[in-house]
Amino acid sequence: MISAQDGTAGADATILVEGLERVYSSGLRAVDGVDLAVAAGEIYGFLGPNGAGKSTTVRILTTLLRPTGGHASVAGYDVVKEASQVRRSIGVALQEAALDPLMTGRELLELQGALHGLRRAESKLRAEELLERVDLVAAAERLLNTYSGGMRRRLDLAMALVHRPNVLFLDEPTTGLDPVSRSSLWTELRKLNDEGTTIFLTTQYLEEAEQLADRVGIIDHGKIVAEGTPQELGRLVGEPGLYVKLIDQSQCERARDLLAVHGAVSDREAGGLTIRTSLGARAIAPIVRTLDEAQIEVDAVEVEEPTLDDVFIAVTGHRAEDAIEEDS
Amino acid sequence: MSSFALERDLATQGRVITALAKRALRVQLRRAQFLLPSFLLPLLLLAVVASGTSAAQQLPGFPNTGSYVGFVVSGTIMQGTLLAGLMAGIAIAGDIEGGFFDRLLSAPIHRVSIVLGRVLGTALIGMVQAILFVSVALLMGADFQGGVIGVALTVLLAALSASAAAGLGATIALRTGSLSLMQNLFPFVFVLLFTAPAFFPRALLNPVLETISVVNPLSYVVEGMRGALFDSAALGSVWAGFAAGIGSVVFTCALAVWAMRSRLSS
Repeated sequence: MISAQDGTAGADATILVEGLERVYSSGLRAVDGVDLAVAAGEIYGFLGPNGAGKSTTVRILTTLLRPTGGHASVAGYDVVKEASQVRRSIGVALQEAALDPLMTGRELLELQGALHGLRRAESKLRAEELLERVDLVAAAERLLNTYSGGMRRRLDLAMALVHRPNVLFLDEPTTGLDPVSRSSLWTELRKLNDEGTTIFLTTQYLEEAEQLADRVGIIDHGKIVAEGTPQELGRLVGEPGLYVKLIDQSQCERARDLLAVHGAVSDREAGGLTIRTSLGARAIAPIVRTLDEAQIEVDAVEVEEPTLDDVFIAVTGHRAEDAIEEDS
Repeated sequence: MSSFALERDLATQGRVITALAKRALRVQLRRAQFLLPSFLLPLLLLAVVASGTSAAQQLPGFPNTGSYVGFVVSGTIMQGTLLAGLMAGIAIAGDIEGGFFDRLLSAPIHRVSIVLGRVLGTALIGMVQAILFVSVALLMGADFQGGVIGVALTVLLAALSASAAAGLGATIALRTGSLSLMQNLFPFVFVLLFTAPAFFPRALLNPVLETISVVNPLSYVVEGMRGALFDSAALGSVWAGFAAGIGSVVFTCALAVWAMRSRLSS
């Protein structure tokens, strides 16, 4: 595993996973020796393509599946030996918002309250609070089969919060949502985290991990292949890039030769050049000056920080999307 | 566990079972594909059987119950409760395939409560079915000498029959997790029904069916309903009906709990 982190959550971790394994009866090794630690109050992004082992890991941590090796604890409780205590401490929103389409939003929230031991009056009150929180009061009496994807996801999140859990597991919470719904869910998750909730979030979206996570673990073929903050992981890719777009694209070859003194220059498929330099944004002025002196007109210069997509390629040798296609 | 903690735990699980039963009942009554087999199909069969085969009561050895519809309504209740049990299994398989079952499993509740909630919900449906079918039979001219007590006992036997059927449906759903398989089990309901004296007295069944009916616990439940409705021990023993009903509920619910444990440990 490539570790980019400055420090780990350590012994006081809210989620602690050591050598976790899950081998299915078919022989498929879905989780293959995963180690991770998530500190209280942290948002941990668990990133990987379909079939990488994300959901299996979450199912083990939420006590829905037994590991075949290693051990894990959540909120200080062992996920196998103290499964009931784990369930009391966590909120879970699994993939694809599994909600009964023939129940209303309010009924589902009240049912969830009863499942978590709330009395009827308490359950009704909590349902009302949560409906307001996720902006579903107007739709509360409607059957779920009339809800949009975004509304279902918001209700799913509200159900996970009924018993005020300290730890929240979200398995691909924004898959299939439009950008507006996704952004609204991100805002809600940030708010929850500000209130002190530890969030373990799996996602296929690199942008989501970058936007939300304090730290990110990248899983591929059942193993964690890289871990750290998004910025730390970005450094694994190498120096930041500067994208230079020219007004006259036919001058690219000349410009490439001239700019070689500032860093490693490469052509972009869509036109223009990328210059990798440790100076980052500070290299903009000398680059523009060089091109100006050679009478090459510049259309735009942009600083490009390495993305988690770049990290994924760097540590796995393939793009996340390619892995999804391979799996599907 | 202290007695206080035990009491608190029992109260919590009681609330959980009630909430799950309420959900089972509510969803079943909202879903047309559940309502049709559980309520409409038995009523249609009651109408067809009562009008088309009423001459059967002229057969030698057929007990005198006044009207044929009065005799067969116990079979109709049995049919309804078996179909309600199958619907319960279909609903569980749907929850498994749709992911809602995982939501239940991730809650801090006893696994047994999930089974018992569904069984209780189906028992309530069985009671509603019994009241409805007996009312329809009365409108069609049946006369029940057992009176209100006889009807009340029949309603309780229907609850037991529905619970046992739900336990069996839950067992198959939990073992297979397959919605399509559950949907293909309809014919087996009729096998169970016709190997019990649902529409004819046991003495008029052919020898093979008669032999099978002896070991089919539903025989005693349906005869118990008949005995209660007509206040006649000759038509069936109410106590044998309750014994067979309770035994079936305990057996099928134990099977369902075992199926749940097997599912979770796999």
